[in-house]
Amino acid sequence: MTSRFEPFLGLSAELTAFSHFDLLGTGLAETYLATLDKVVGGEITDALLAAFTALPPPESKARIQAVRTTILGNELLGDVARALIKLWYSGTWFELSSAWSERFGPRPANITFVVSPDAYIEGLLWKAIGAHPAGAKGQGFGSWAFPPKIPAFAPALDFQNLT
Amino acid sequence: MDSYSIKTLDELKEFLYRAMQLEHATIPPYLTALYSIKPGANQDATQVLRVIVVEEMLHLTIAANILNAIGGKPDLVRPDFVARYPAALPDGETDFKVGIQAFGREALATFLKIERPAQRPEHLVGKGLIYRKTPPDITALASHPRHEDFHFYSIGEFYSAIAEGIKYLEAEAHGAGTTIFTGDGSRQITSEYYYSGGGELFPVTDLKSALEAIELIIEQGEGDGGGIYEDDDHELAHYYRFEELVKGRYYQKGDQPGQPTGPHLQVDWEGAYPIKENLKVEDIFEGSELREAAIAFNTRYGEFLQLLTRAFNGQPSLLLEAVPMMFEFRNMILELIRNPLPKHPGKNGSPTYQIPGGIKQPAVTRQAEVNA
Amino acid sequence: MLFPLESAIRADAKTVAESGDYDIVIVGSGISGAIIAKQAAEAGKRVLILEAGTGANSTLAGYDNLLTTFYSAASKDNQSPFPLNANAAIPRSPQLRKLQAGETDSSNYIVQSGPYVSDTVYTRIFGGTTMHWEAKTPRLLRSDFTTRTLFGQGLDWPLSFEEVEEDYRLAEREIGVSANVEDQQYLGQTFPDDYVFPMRGIPLSYLDQQVNKGIEGTSVELYDKTYPLKVRPYPQGRNGIPNPAYDGGKGYRPIGAVDTHQVEEGGRCQGNTNCVPLCPVQARYHSGKSLAKAFAVSGERGERLVELLPQAVASKVNIDPDSGKVRSLSVKIYKDPASPAHETITVKGKIFVLAAGAIETARLMLASGLRSTSGLVGRNLMDHAYLLNWALMPEICGTMRGTSSTGGIVDLRDGPFREKQAAFAIDIHNDGWGWATGAPTSDLLELVDDRNLYGADLRRGMVDQVSRQLLLAFMIEVMPVESNRISVDPQYTDALGNMRPILSFTVPEYTMKGAAYGRQFARTVFARLGARDHTHYDPNDYGYVAYEGQGYAIRGGNHLAGTHIMGTTKTNSVVDKNQRSWDHENLYLVGGGSMPTIGTANVTLTLAAICFRSGRNILKSLH
Repeated sequence: MTSRFEPFLGLSAELTAFSHFDLLGTGLAETYLATLDKVVGGEITDALLAAFTALPPPESKARIQAVRTTILGNELLGDVARALIKLWYSGTWFELSSAWSERFGPRPANITFVVSPDAYIEGLLWKAIGAHPAGAKGQGFGSWAFPPKIPAFAPALDFQNLT
Repeated sequence: MDSYSIKTLDELKEFLYRAMQLEHATIPPYLTALYSIKPGANQDATQVLRVIVVEEMLHLTIAANILNAIGGKPDLVRPDFVARYPAALPDGETDFKVGIQAFGREALATFLKIERPAQRPEHLVGKGLIYRKTPPDITALASHPRHEDFHFYSIGEFYSAIAEGIKYLEAEAHGAGTTIFTGDGSRQITSEYYYSGGGELFPVTDLKSALEAIELIIEQGEGDGGGIYEDDDHELAHYYRFEELVKGRYYQKGDQPGQPTGPHLQVDWEGAYPIKENLKVEDIFEGSELREAAIAFNTRYGEFLQLLTRAFNGQPSLLLEAVPMMFEFRNMILELIRNPLPKHPGKNGSPTYQIPGGIKQPAVTRQAEVNA
Repeated sequence: MLFPLESAIRADAKTVAESGDYDIVIVGSGISGAIIAKQAAEAGKRVLILEAGTGANSTLAGYDNLLTTFYSAASKDNQSPFPLNANAAIPRSPQLRKLQAGETDSSNYIVQSGPYVSDTVYTRIFGGTTMHWEAKTPRLLRSDFTTRTLFGQGLDWPLSFEEVEEDYRLAEREIGVSANVEDQQYLGQTFPDDYVFPMRGIPLSYLDQQVNKGIEGTSVELYDKTYPLKVRPYPQGRNGIPNPAYDGGKGYRPIGAVDTHQVEEGGRCQGNTNCVPLCPVQARYHSGKSLAKAFAVSGERGERLVELLPQAVASKVNIDPDSGKVRSLSVKIYKDPASPAHETITVKGKIFVLAAGAIETARLMLASGLRSTSGLVGRNLMDHAYLLNWALMPEICGTMRGTSSTGGIVDLRDGPFREKQAAFAIDIHNDGWGWATGAPTSDLLELVDDRNLYGADLRRGMVDQVSRQLLLAFMIEVMPVESNRISVDPQYTDALGNMRPILSFTVPEYTMKGAAYGRQFARTVFARLGARDHTHYDPNDYGYVAYEGQGYAIRGGNHLAGTHIMGTTKTNSVVDKNQRSWDHENLYLVGGGSMPTIGTANVTLTLAAICFRSGRNILKSLH
C-alpha cells in the first residue's frame, strides 16, 4: 500500500463516519482513490490528503473546526471532499459544479458517473440506514416485516493504523 | 451383517447426527468460495456455487427430517457439530482435507472430491471399513461413532450403512408389531418452508420416504452412477456442475460423463480475493477491527445454528427467520474477505467458523406474519 | 424442472418468410402473447412469436446484463435497465418536459401535445412490460364490470365478473400469485369456498404496519357513507411461500425463469425493493417464465412448437379485401440495434394475434390503415392517474426495504361516490419518496451539499431523513373518453420508418375530482399518523393539472388500456368479448387495449385472464 492510501482511508473514515473495516469491506477503497486522481488529478488529491494529515489530533475539539475550515470550507478542496463523501455513500461521482471548474480549470473526467456496478451496490448510504441498494443485497424473504437494523457507529472516530 | 452395522436405534440416531454434521460441513467451504469471487467475475461459477449451497442446506434439512422421523432430536449446537477446518473426509483408503479457501483450481479440486467419493475397486468390494488414525485436532467427518478410527470407504458407503440400518431396525420393529418411525409429524420440515431449486422437501414418515430421502442426498451429490442427468428433469448432480467449471463447458442432454458438449463458459481463476486458507481468530492481529468482525460473525453463525435447532425441534416456521440471517452472512463474509489481513501481506481475511459454545437464543423480534 | 440452455428456438427470418404453416402468429412476447402461445402449444399448434426487441434477455447472461446496465446507470429511472434501441424505441420519462397547450413535442418516441404530458411507459423487449412491472395483481371488483349501469360512468363490459372469475384463477396460477384469500375479501370480493392462492401472502412491511397502527379503527365520511380504514396486503405476482392447500391439496410449485439451464426457477422474493424496473433474482413474474414452458412443448415428431423471431418489428397488417381476413404481416427484420438497416419479410399464418400492448397494437392497426367499423381503434386510451403524497413519519420505519409495495389502503376502491368522482386505491411505497423526489439520492445531495453534514451527523441525518419516508401513491380510476387517444401521422416515424404513436390525453374531470379528494384524504391520514407532510406540486411539472383552483402533478401508471375496446357490437367496440376483431375474423387484438374500464386494479391480472378466454376461442376456431 502506498503512503497515500492510509491518509485516504483516514480522511474517508473522518468524512463518512464508517470505520476502516467498513470502508475496506466495500472492496472499493483503492478504486475511489484512483477515481479522485482520475477526475481532479493527483495534485489536488494530494492537497486534500495533506489537509487531512495536518488536522489537529483526534478527540480534540479543534479538529471538527479544522475539518470545516481547512477541508470542507476550503475553496479548492471543499467541493472535492463533498464529492468524495457522495462517492462513498452512493458509488456515484457527482460532477463538480461549473463554478468550481471555471475557477480551478475544467477536468474532462468530471461528469456524473457510476464508478462501477459494484460501486452502486456497495454505496454506504444503504448500510447507514439499515437497508440495501435497490436491486441488490436484498435482506431475505420477510425481512421487511421487522424493524430495520440500523448499525451502531462511534460518534467520534478514532484514526488507527491497523495494517 | 458385520460388526460395524447399525444395530440399535440410538446408534442410528448418532449416525444421522453425523450425516447432518457432514452435510453442514460442506456449507462453509462452498459459501466462502462463493463470496470470495470478485464482483463481475465468474458469473457461471457464482450460479453453480449458489445452487449447490442451497442444495446442501436442503440435504441438511432432509437429514434432520429423517432423524425427527425416528424420534431423534437434531442438535446443531452440540460442541462438535461444526467441523474444525481443515476437516477430513473419507476418500477410499486415504482421506482428504476440506478447508476454507477462496474460489480457484485448488478449491474446485477439493469440491470434486467431496461430490464424487471414491468407488471401491473390485478386490475391495465387501471388505469392511478402513482403519486410519485421525489426529485428535482434526474433525473426521463420516466416521463410525463406535469405532472412531474406522472410516467408511466413501460418503456413499456411509449413507448406505444408514439405509441398511434403517431397513434392519424397521424390519426388527415390524417383527415386534411396531415401527421405528414414531416421530411427531409436526416436526417435519416441508417445502413450504424451503424452496429455491434443488428439489422438493418432503416429510419422512416411513421406510419408503426415509430411503427416498437418502437417495436424493446421494444422487444430488455424486449422481446415480448412470447418466449425468438424473431423469426427465435433467438436473445435473453437483459433481458434474463443478466439472463444467473445470472443463469450461456446459453439459447438455445426451452427453457422456467427462465430455460436456454444451456452450462454453468462462472461468477467471484469478477472479477471487486472496483469502488466507483456514484462518483462525487467533491468527488475526489482536485489537484489529477484522478480528472483532470475525468473532462477531462466529457469534452470529452460532445464533443461526441455535435457531435452526429450534426450527428442527418442533418450530418449523422459525426457518423463515433463518432466511434473513443467511443474507446477513453474505454481507458479513464479503466484508471479512475484502479486508486485508494485518501482518499477512497479500492475504485477506475470512470467516473462521469457530463457533463458540453457550450461544444464547438469538433475539427474535417477532415471528414472521406469514406463519399462519 | 430444467429447460435446455437455449430454450427458445430462434427462428431465422428466411425460414419464417417461407413457412406458411403457422397456426398462430403472435406479435409481442409479453404476458398476453405468452399465455396464448403456451395454450396453443399445449394443444399441439404451431406458433410463431414476433418480438421487436433483441431477445438478448431470454438468456440468463442477457438478463444479468440488464441488471448490470441498471447498476451502472447514473439515472435510475424505470427504464434504465433496458438499452437504447432505436429500432424498437420505448418511452423514457426523464426525457419529458412541460408543454404549453397546443405545443407538440416529437423529440421522444411517443409524440405528445400539451398541456398534459403523460410519463407512461412500456417496454419493447423479450417479456414485454412484465420485465419491469411492479406485479401487484388485484382483481377488478364485481362493480367495475358494470360502472355504466351502477354509476352512470364509463362503460359496461360485455362480460360479467362471473364469466371472468375462473380465468382470474388461471391467471393467478400462471403468474403464481402470492396472497391470502381472507385479506382479499373486501368490498364484496368473493372466492370459491375451497380457493387459496398459489402462494401465501407476502408479509406487510414494517412501514405498512406502522401506518396501519395509526389508521386502523378510524374511518372517513364521503357523501354520508362511512368507510373504515386499514392497511391491506396486495396480492403479488412474485414467489413467496407455496400454499400446500392449493389445487385441492396438490400444492403449487413455482417454475420457470429465463434460461433455466442454471437457475431452475426464479428465487423466492428477497426484498430487493426493485420490482420496478427489474427483479435481480426473477422472483417477480415475467412472461419469460410462461414462455420457457411454452418453448419446452414438443409436437408429435418431437419438434418444438413455439418459435421466437426476435428483432422483428411488425410494420403492417395486410388484409384480403374480399374476405376482410388478415392475409399476412409485413415484418421489418433488423440485424443490429445500432443500425436502421433492415429487410422486410411477409409472415403468413391462420390466426394473427396482436399482443404488443395497448399503444403499440393500436399504433400498428392505425399504421396499417385499419380504423375498424366503429372508428374506435386508438380511442378510449386509459391509464391510471397517479397522485403522489409524501410525508415523514414520526418514527423510524425502515423505509427502502421489501418489495416495491406490499400493502395499501383500498377501502375507497368502491362506493356510491363513484357516481360523482373516481375511486382510488392507495399504494404505500416501500421505496420511500423515490418516485416523487428521487430519494434517497436527492436526500444525500441535500444533506452533504446544502446542510453541510459529514461524519456521524451525516449518518444520523440519513437515517432521520430516509428511514421515516412515507409515500402514498393514489392510483385513481380513469374512465374511457374517446378523445383520449393514440393516433399516427406519416410525418412522425421511427428509425425503421414505422409511424410512431401520437398520444393525446386530458385527465378527465371525474378523475380530477377523485384526485382532489385524494389529496384531502392524504392530509387526513398524515394527520392521524402525526406525519409531516412534504407534498408539493410544481407548476412546471410536465404532468401538472389545475383543478378548482389547486394544482396537482399527475403521473402515469403504465396501466395502459382501452385502445381496442371490447363490446357487444361492431359499432360500439373494436373486439368482441373473446378479443376477436369484429372486422377481421382471423385477427385478435389482445391485452389491456380490450378493457372497457380499468377500475382501481393494476391491469395485468385482468388482461391475462381474458387472454385465457381468447386462447380457448382461438383453438376452437382452428378446429
